[in-house]
Amino acid sequence: MSRAEATRQDTKGRRPIGLLLVAVPVFLVLSLIVWPVALSVFDTLTVETPSGVTLSLDAYRFFFSDSFSLRNLWMTVQVAAICTALLLAISLPIALYLRFSTSRLTGYIQALALFPLFVPSILLAYALIRTLGPNGTVDILLSAVGLPKLASPYLTIWGPIIGLVWDNLPLTLLIVLAGLGNVSRASIDAARDVGANRVQLLRYIILPRIRSTLLVAASFVILGLFSAFTLPYLLGPAVPEMMGPFMRRTIIDVDDPLQARTQAVVTFLICAAFAYFYVRSIARTRREQSS
Amino acid sequence: MSMPALRRAGPASLGLSRLRANGAGITIAALLSLFILTPLVNVAIWAFTEIWRYPAVIPQKFGFRFWGDVLSRGDVHLAMTTSLSLAAIVTALSALICLPASYAFARMDFPGRNLFFMSFLTVYAFPKFGLYITIATIFLGLGLIGNFWGVVLIQLVSTLMFMVWIPVSAFQNVDRRQEEAARDAGASPLRVFWSITLPQVLPAISAAVLLTFVNTFYETEVAWLIGAPEVRTVPLLMVRFINSELVVQYGAVLSLLLWVPSFVLLMLVRRFLGAQALGRALGA
Amino acid sequence: MNRRNLFRSTIAAAALLAMPAAAMADVNRIDVYITGDSNIINFWNNIIKPAYEKANPQYTLNVVSARNNIAPIVDRALAALGSDVDPQVDIFDENDPNLPKGAIEKGLWVDFTKAGLANYGKLNPVTLETDYGLPYRGTQVVLAYDTTKLKPEDAPKTWAELVAWMKANPGQFTHNRPDTGGSGGNFVRRAIHEANGRDPSLFRIDNYVAGESDERLAKGFELLKEIAPYTYGPGSYSGDNMQSIQLLAQGVVTMVPVWSDMALDAVNKGVLPETTGFTQLTDLAFAGGFADMTVPTNAGNLEATMKLADIVLSPEVQTKVVTEIGAFPAISWEHLPQDLAAKYAAMQPASIPTFPGGPWVSAISDGWFRTVAPHVTR
Repeated sequence: MSRAEATRQDTKGRRPIGLLLVAVPVFLVLSLIVWPVALSVFDTLTVETPSGVTLSLDAYRFFFSDSFSLRNLWMTVQVAAICTALLLAISLPIALYLRFSTSRLTGYIQALALFPLFVPSILLAYALIRTLGPNGTVDILLSAVGLPKLASPYLTIWGPIIGLVWDNLPLTLLIVLAGLGNVSRASIDAARDVGANRVQLLRYIILPRIRSTLLVAASFVILGLFSAFTLPYLLGPAVPEMMGPFMRRTIIDVDDPLQARTQAVVTFLICAAFAYFYVRSIARTRREQSS
Repeated sequence: MSMPALRRAGPASLGLSRLRANGAGITIAALLSLFILTPLVNVAIWAFTEIWRYPAVIPQKFGFRFWGDVLSRGDVHLAMTTSLSLAAIVTALSALICLPASYAFARMDFPGRNLFFMSFLTVYAFPKFGLYITIATIFLGLGLIGNFWGVVLIQLVSTLMFMVWIPVSAFQNVDRRQEEAARDAGASPLRVFWSITLPQVLPAISAAVLLTFVNTFYETEVAWLIGAPEVRTVPLLMVRFINSELVVQYGAVLSLLLWVPSFVLLMLVRRFLGAQALGRALGA
Repeated sequence: MNRRNLFRSTIAAAALLAMPAAAMADVNRIDVYITGDSNIINFWNNIIKPAYEKANPQYTLNVVSARNNIAPIVDRALAALGSDVDPQVDIFDENDPNLPKGAIEKGLWVDFTKAGLANYGKLNPVTLETDYGLPYRGTQVVLAYDTTKLKPEDAPKTWAELVAWMKANPGQFTHNRPDTGGSGGNFVRRAIHEANGRDPSLFRIDNYVAGESDERLAKGFELLKEIAPYTYGPGSYSGDNMQSIQLLAQGVVTMVPVWSDMALDAVNKGVLPETTGFTQLTDLAFAGGFADMTVPTNAGNLEATMKLADIVLSPEVQTKVVTEIGAFPAISWEHLPQDLAAKYAAMQPASIPTFPGGPWVSAISDGWFRTVAPHVTR
């Protein structure tokens, strides 16, 4: 057997093993996520008529011609965009510091930034109401020193934004931090030796190396934000609602499961678009690496 | 600048940059403390408060009434056991099935790889509430409603994305040359994996494990939609305490109780994560 | 290592799927889902559970809190209907049998007129709204206010006075969104009553007609739009019954609508200060109502559950409804001890105005969110 033949056999032989290794999780996703999602999508695309089930786009036509629904969707997109931007802006400096500093403070900062993991959102909602709500702790402290009260973010769009940023900080930070592991100290030092300043370092050395990580972080966060429920429900305004509370109210209160599913599918499609960009960028990175 | 000049400037500029770095650290630490700790301190004070009304800076009445109430309840102990075993089982199963998959996605080529990889996104991309209602109907037919293992199964699915995705990038970034060098030196594949590959991906894996455990522990929707009435977890208890007991204190006491073990866990994992990250930062 | 992991995980997954689910469910357990707050949960645990288990020692009562989350459990029972699967639901303590649409037609709920309950005949006819719900406790929405800011003699007594007070004190009133709890929901319904000649009989469970009825509702929404600029925020509506109480407790607002039993409990627990006053509108009271128990026909322990329903309607338990949770009894006063009737019967209004559920719930929720809520936003 020639060497080339052996190699070819090797790659051939590895194929089923790869499939086998991913089989269990993929099976779980197919049976418990993709299948129910497909059922939902099918449900929104059909109507039952006396002559049987026929295709219909009515549910979507309603959604996209209903300014109330669209406003809720737009609010969700805005909140998700603002939260993601804030989260990346907050976690990047923290992560850079944690990655490249040798100071003792890193322990404290890391523990602090990860602590929101251990605070369930229901409790956070109430803690924030008591802290930033009207006549909450901040107001108490401000009025104790004779300053005017805070314009409370409670029951405005900023309520859920603050809550969601707080809640998602550890996740974002962990992902960004993991990505920064790819940037070696040596490459930083080398760039510094040729006279690069901090901004240049960030722009030309660090950011290109963690671009895909930032994309992962952003897509993780955005997907979670789109179905957030507790924080927008308790901290947000009555209208516009974010999609999470809106869907829930449509199922439970308005008793319109079809519209609720339509809302879910629309939300899903937007998330899927993000997902697609993410996957494409990963694939490109891989091609670059392998060539 | 001539070489000697540079050498002379060396220690001074090093000290200056360290100082500047620490200035940045102190700024970050201070701002972060304000942002993260204020609500937490508030919760902690509430746990020991019986009456606190505006505009008093210090609560009108402190007391341990709610501690006694929470600690003497049987459902708290039961829920704690349920939640801990649920989170532990789900995390273990998830690691068991996902890490090999993650390795395969990072290192092997097989048909449908990208498609399968992307399929995990659906776990997060489809709004949970709508999804779980559909799943609940399916589970009903399988007899998995109100069943501990039903909750385990669906929780397991919701952890897949983290457990597969986070380690993938780490597996991809493992230095292949080191592995090849070790293999050339006669190490077995298992040995190479154990002493070269694993240490490099360990921070990512521990991050994934931590996130999975904590997310499972604090999850409420699945536990309710699939688990009721049999499976009662700590967060469900907390939702009940906060929503229907009129007083925030029960929830505050319960979370304060949880923060002690959480903090220990966090410190353990942090040391683990930190040592790796710092170790590599120093060029080790 | 990977292959071994895979092998083990396959075994685990197989074991998982093979787990006999039926073995987990306790056959002699009755699952009671409670929608109410803690006082109701305690009532079931401390009063009804011992009474029932003493009479039926072979069964145990499992009291589950289901606040604001009951719909998925109802869906579960509906999905199990027609199969032999046990939905693990025996009784809901407070549920609208008209939701989801078509549940009654599909035969999900037990018809209590045909169930042969011994105590069914004792029920006060004014409490009965549907054949598929069994009323057992009544409560009502009242206005709670801060007596340090508003003297009891100045408290509004009619809708017009309430509106005048709100306009004179902008930002001092709030209510929760109608979908998040009955205190805000019944405030919205009171506005609808006001706009329709204060005649609750115009709204019945069976007379909702899309279009025509929506016009009646819209008149009420116009009244709410008129006061929206004077609410807290303005136009900030809280997310729960309890959050309204909290805003009152923190001195942010002066007046909120509350459930009478819940607010009394809040005063007892020190959540609301002793200086909290209560008032009811005298031209027409806020809607309240009786909590209807519903039983799915596919309950695992149907017969034992019917016995439970009968015990809840017994004069002994109904007496406790008055003395323990400060609610109105569902059975007529003549079946209750005379001294109790003498003491409390006067307190119960001749009738609590009610607002029907069913299609009205969705029409009101959707209408309010689409017209009133966006009218004024911060």
